Amino acid sequence: MFKLYASLRKELLLLINDKVGLALMFLMPLLLVFIITIIQDSAYKMVNENQIPLLVVNHDNGKEGNKLVELLTKSGLFKIDSQNAIPQESLKSELLSRGKMIALYIPATFSAGLESNAEDVSTILMEDLGLERDTTRHQKVSMPKLSFYNDPVLQENYSYSVMSVIQSYMSVIENSLMIDRMYANMDIAERSAKLKDKMISNRVGIDQIVARNNNSTAIPNSTQHNVPAWTIFAMFFMVVSLGSNIVKERINGSFLRLKTMPTTFMVVMFSKMAIYVIVAALQVALTFSMGVWILPKLGLPKLSVPDNLIATIAVIFISSMAAVSYALMIGAFAKTEQQANGFGAISIIIFGAIGGILVPTFVMPGFMQFFSNFSPLHWCLEGFYVLFLKGGSWQDLRTVFAFLGIFIVFCQLGTYFKLRLERII
Amino acid sequence: MAGQVCIAIRDVYKRYKSAQEDSLSDVSLDIMQSDVFGLLGPNGAGKTTLISILCGIIPVSSGDVQFFNNGAPYSNDERKSRIGFVPQEYAFYQELTPRQNLDYFGAMYNLPKKKLEMRREHLLEVLGLEKAADRKVGTFSGGMKRRVNLAIGIIHEPDILFLDEPTVGVDVQSRNAIIRYLQQINQAGTTIVYTSHHMSEAEEFCKNIALIDHGRVIAAGGLQHLKSVHDAGSLQTLFINLTGEEYRD
Repeated sequence: MFKLYASLRKELLLLINDKVGLALMFLMPLLLVFIITIIQDSAYKMVNENQIPLLVVNHDNGKEGNKLVELLTKSGLFKIDSQNAIPQESLKSELLSRGKMIALYIPATFSAGLESNAEDVSTILMEDLGLERDTTRHQKVSMPKLSFYNDPVLQENYSYSVMSVIQSYMSVIENSLMIDRMYANMDIAERSAKLKDKMISNRVGIDQIVARNNNSTAIPNSTQHNVPAWTIFAMFFMVVSLGSNIVKERINGSFLRLKTMPTTFMVVMFSKMAIYVIVAALQVALTFSMGVWILPKLGLPKLSVPDNLIATIAVIFISSMAAVSYALMIGAFAKTEQQANGFGAISIIIFGAIGGILVPTFVMPGFMQFFSNFSPLHWCLEGFYVLFLKGGSWQDLRTVFAFLGIFIVFCQLGTYFKLRLERII
Repeated sequence: MAGQVCIAIRDVYKRYKSAQEDSLSDVSLDIMQSDVFGLLGPNGAGKTTLISILCGIIPVSSGDVQFFNNGAPYSNDERKSRIGFVPQEYAFYQELTPRQNLDYFGAMYNLPKKKLEMRREHLLEVLGLEKAADRKVGTFSGGMKRRVNLAIGIIHEPDILFLDEPTVGVDVQSRNAIIRYLQQINQAGTTIVYTSHHMSEAEEFCKNIALIDHGRVIAAGGLQHLKSVHDAGSLQTLFINLTGEEYRD
C-alpha cells in the first residue's frame, strides 16, 4: 500500500508541477465552453426561440400587401423591419448592408393581381352554378409575384422553410379574397365571415413530439451541446500532460530504473490512470458546475443535469478511461516529448472535428458521418447526448460502452506491447 | 565477507534483435564480495550492456549470471531488493525535489516510512544536497543531479551497487564527493561494479578490473597485477596498449 501511495503521490506532484498541462486541462475547457456557448447560443436561439429577422419592402397600392405584413407580424415567427422607401433595384445591396439575411418585396400590383385572380375564380364558379353576372367591368391584372431575397450564406433549406411559411400566409389571403368575391357576387357579402373563419381556423394541425425515452425536459441548446463536448475535448487533451510524462520517463531511464527495483510496473500504470481519471472527473465537475451555475447568470441556457446519476458516473468514467488510455498509448509510441505533444494535440483536434465536438455530426456529409464512428470523442459525446438530450437508459448506452470499451482495450494493449517491446515491462 | 564470489558471470552472450554481431561474447567473470570492480572499455565495447544484464534490465542471449550473498545464492526477489543501480542518465524526475524523488524511489524499494525518512535525510546531508533538498532537481547543476542520481541508487543500502559512469560531466568537487562516498560504503561492505572513462579515477577507485573490447573480456584481474603483467605504468597506458588507439565511435 505504501508503494501505491508513493506512486500516486509522485503522479500528483508531477501533475501539479505541470502548469501548462494543468492550464490545458482545466482552463481551456472553461474558456471553450464559455466562448463557444456564447457564440453558438444565438444560432441555437435562431432555430429554437428567436424571431427570424425579415426586411419587408411593401410597394403595394392596395390593402392586401399590408394584410400580408400584418399576418407575418402576428405569426410571431418574424421580426419585421418595414422599409417601404427602398426601391426594388437597390434591395439586394440594402439587404447586405443592413446585415439582414432575408428580405421580402411586395410589388405595386400585389392587391390588384390577387383581386383579379379572385374575380376570375368567382366568375368560373358563378358560371358553373348557372348564375349570371356582369363581367364587363372586370379589369384583368396578371397574378403578382413576391420577390424573396436571401443572403448567399444562408442555407438553402432555411430559405425554403421561410418561403413555405410566407406561402402558407399567402394561401390564407388568397382564399379569403376568393370567398369574399364569390359571396359579393352572390350578393351575400356580409355572410362570408363564417366560411372564412371555418376555412382558416380548421386546418390539419401537426403535433410535434420530441423522441425521448422519459420525461426529460432537456432540449438541444448551446449549453447542452458545448458543456459535454468541450469537457470531452479537454479530457482527451490530457495527452499533452500524461503522454509527455510517459515519454520523459521512458527516455530518461526512470522506467528502466524501476525495472531493477522490487516493484511491479502495474503500480506505476495504475497510479497514472487513477490520477488522470480523477483529473477527468474534476474537469467534468468544473465545467458542469459552470453550466449549471455560471452560464445562466450570463443569460445563457442552464445545463440540465441528467436524472440517471449512476449512468452519468459510468459515462464519465468510461470517457475518462478512453482519454487516459489514448494518452498512455501516445506516450508509449512517441519518440520525443514534441512528438507526443504535437501528434497528441493534433489528433485530438481531428478526432474532435470528425467526432462532432466542433459541429454536430448530423450536419456532416454521409461519408464523414461514417468516419465519425472511428472517433472516440464521438462515442463519448454520444454517451452524454443519450444522458442529456434523450434521457438515456442503460439500453441506449450499450453501443457507447461497447465502442469505448473496444477503444480502451485497443489502446491498453498497444501500450502494453510497445512497452514490452522496449523491455520496460 | 570479502573473498567470496558475489556475482558469477558464466559464458554470457548477448545479441540484440536485428543486430549482425554479438554485443557480448563469451563473457565470464567473478566479482568478489566487497570488491570495487571496474568494467572498462572504449565506447561501444559492451560495458553498459553487461551492466544492464547484471541489473536484470535485459536478458542474456545465452549464458548465466548468479548472485551470492556469503556463498548462498540470491532469489530473484532478493536480488532486486539487494542491488542498487545508478544509470548513466539522470533517471529521476526533474520536476520533483530531491526529497520527493528519494521518497518515491525509496518506497519502490519497500523501505518502511521511518527508515526511508532517516536514509533520505542522511544521504541529502552526506552528498551535500541538504540546502537544495526542496528545490526542483531540474534547476540543479550537472554535479548536483549526479549526486541525486547516486542517492536514489543507494537509498536502500544495497549489498551490490552498479554504477554506469557515475561521474560523467561533473566538476572535480562533485566527483570527489561521489568517489569519497562510494569508498565509504565499499568499506562498509557494499560490492561496487563500476564503469567509467576516467582512467585516473578508476585507477584510484578500483581494486579489480575487466577490460572489455568488441564485446569480449580482453583482460581481467587485480589492477596492480594487470599493470605489471602488461608492463604498463598506469591504467591509461594499459588501456591503450590493450585496446589500441583507433577511434571507436
